[in-house]
Amino acid sequence: MTHVGCAAALLLVAAGISGQAPNPGGPLTVLSRDGRRPLPTTDVQGHQMVGLDDLATLFHLQIHEDLAARAVTATYKSQTIVLTPDQSLVSASGRLVSLPAPLTRQGRRWLVPVEFINRALAPIYDTPLELRAASRLVIVGDLRVPRIAVQYDESPASLRVTFEITPRATAVVTQDQGRLLVRVDADTLDASLPAAPTQQGLLTGIRAAEPDTIQMDLGPRFASYRASPPVSRGAAALLTVELLGTAPDASAAPAVPTSPTPATPLPVFSGETRPTIRTIVIDPGHGGEDTGVRGPGGALEKVVTLSVARRVKAVIESGLGMRVLLTHQNDNRIDGDSRAALANNNKADLFISIHANGSPRPDTRGGTIFTLGLDRVGEDARRQSQADREVIQIFGGGTRDFSLVEWELAQAAHLDGSHAFAGILDGKLRTTAGLPAVSLKRAPMRNLAGVNMPAVLIEIGYLSNPEEEQLLTSLEFQGRIATAVSEAVVAFRDYLEQGPQVPTPPSEPAAP
Amino acid sequence: MTRPRHFVLYAALGTVLAVALMVLFFVGPRWLTSTPPVTPGSAPTAADVRKIRARLFFVNADGTGLSTVEQEVTHGEGTVEQARHIIDAQLAAPAPPLASAIPPGTRLRTVYLTARGEAYIDVTSELQTNHPGGTTNEILTVYALVSALTSNLPAVTGVQILIDGKEVDTLAGHLDLRRPIEADAQWVPQQ
Repeated sequence: MTHVGCAAALLLVAAGISGQAPNPGGPLTVLSRDGRRPLPTTDVQGHQMVGLDDLATLFHLQIHEDLAARAVTATYKSQTIVLTPDQSLVSASGRLVSLPAPLTRQGRRWLVPVEFINRALAPIYDTPLELRAASRLVIVGDLRVPRIAVQYDESPASLRVTFEITPRATAVVTQDQGRLLVRVDADTLDASLPAAPTQQGLLTGIRAAEPDTIQMDLGPRFASYRASPPVSRGAAALLTVELLGTAPDASAAPAVPTSPTPATPLPVFSGETRPTIRTIVIDPGHGGEDTGVRGPGGALEKVVTLSVARRVKAVIESGLGMRVLLTHQNDNRIDGDSRAALANNNKADLFISIHANGSPRPDTRGGTIFTLGLDRVGEDARRQSQADREVIQIFGGGTRDFSLVEWELAQAAHLDGSHAFAGILDGKLRTTAGLPAVSLKRAPMRNLAGVNMPAVLIEIGYLSNPEEEQLLTSLEFQGRIATAVSEAVVAFRDYLEQGPQVPTPPSEPAAP
Repeated sequence: MTRPRHFVLYAALGTVLAVALMVLFFVGPRWLTSTPPVTPGSAPTAADVRKIRARLFFVNADGTGLSTVEQEVTHGEGTVEQARHIIDAQLAAPAPPLASAIPPGTRLRTVYLTARGEAYIDVTSELQTNHPGGTTNEILTVYALVSALTSNLPAVTGVQILIDGKEVDTLAGHLDLRRPIEADAQWVPQQ
């Protein structure tokens, strides 16, 4: 980033800190690789409006007023937006777009609502444009500007500071004399930093130090800290820094946990980590007229998968005492959404889909474990769902995140757990089941996408391979697969119970 | 006597003139247009069809990925036309020892391209009905089509497969085809 850009970003973050209640009449900040420019706004009947002339300058638009046709056109390269005075509908390259307020004349200027930028201009612009109305920010191009939300959780002996970084970015915590620095891998930060609770004497303030760094000023009672590695929650990464205090001074006022102010929301309940596994859904691949692969000897995938799934259920239920549900008990066809719905509605803790593979080459062999792979489109949709997220007050106090996550993106929030289970299962399939080769893959799997818990799809071998066809149909091999899956479930339960988010303390004891 | 004679003469002349006009207006045009049109130049020969080198994708040796093969493909004017020729070439049965991941009998119906660079390939139902099943088979089929467009046409960012003009959930029960799929290098390992 250029010096201009850095300085701009500094100003931007500083604006973000005071941006808890942004001045509704203040300018937007247009941030690009070239730096930062203000975009003035005007309040018209409660709507934030920007001048077409300002947009023309910033985004190289040609504005043309056609009095005869009662139309104003904004042209960018070969694409044109047509606006009509006092109309909220505009045409952006032939597509009708609705705006919250009409094109309005003010003196010699034409004003449009700020939403014009992301609804009408962004679709025709050749560089990504993102309007963050809450942060009063317009991001031009592929700058990495994650949102940073900070929450405090106080206890008598410590203060936990949780940084929610959206979209996910890595972050490093370092101690530098009387301050802790959280450096995020980003071009700049869109930070919302509520006032730090200072009653405990652990923290005296929090602010942006550099474009990519947030500084926590440490108080007199600070002794040490623990920082957990960032964990994923949906599209966000959660970084938790726990500040630990010295024994309270007898003369000091007792540290009483304070009630969070409305500006300091309670920590959002994550619900991602589960203490144990109680319910597992096993999904036998295919069924009914959907036979799946047919082996050269005539074995059908749907028969093999149902047989293996029944064995897995029996081994886990009898050996581990967990509740195991099959997505279908008999040879019948069931669609992808119904498979996911059964697992979600039963609040299962783990979803395992069992399949047998097929390849054009008859000698292809080995097992494969699939987890869901999200492509750019999926990531965009997930990011959009995060942008639409709302925090609502819940009964009894506190808040809860509500996000309009698409049904098919439910799995996105559990990919860390899915990858962890896949890694454990990989080892068990090699050792206990004796599969000659197992590979771990990620792909946009239809039946995993809507599953709201850790989920994998196992290919237990190639039915198209004559030797593996014999293996897959043997009851002895199916028993080994069932045992391997059962052992993997036990190991995954231990992994969850020990806590996948166990902090790795990098803390160096600090002098108070 | 003279007047009646003149009258008959004028009536005969008028009738002849009317018949001549009718011939001119009703028969004349058809006769005129039946003349073969004059076309400048001669019809294009096979030698005149322009070709490009395009990357096509076939099953690799171990059967778990795709290998890239460069072949000549008919040149198309514009991205959509070129996409059509590339998919036609990808759907065609290759010469041995190349193995295709496309079920036999599959034909291209049409190709659409959105302003966002998402290509929609509409193919006939053989892609689904003749598919052998299995995740790897399905991955190879889908990514052969996806890679054929994304690797040759920079304007194409993703590919969605339609069958007989309709969106489908999956091809064989595994890959999510409800959205455009992007190229994925893990299925085209370096040779």
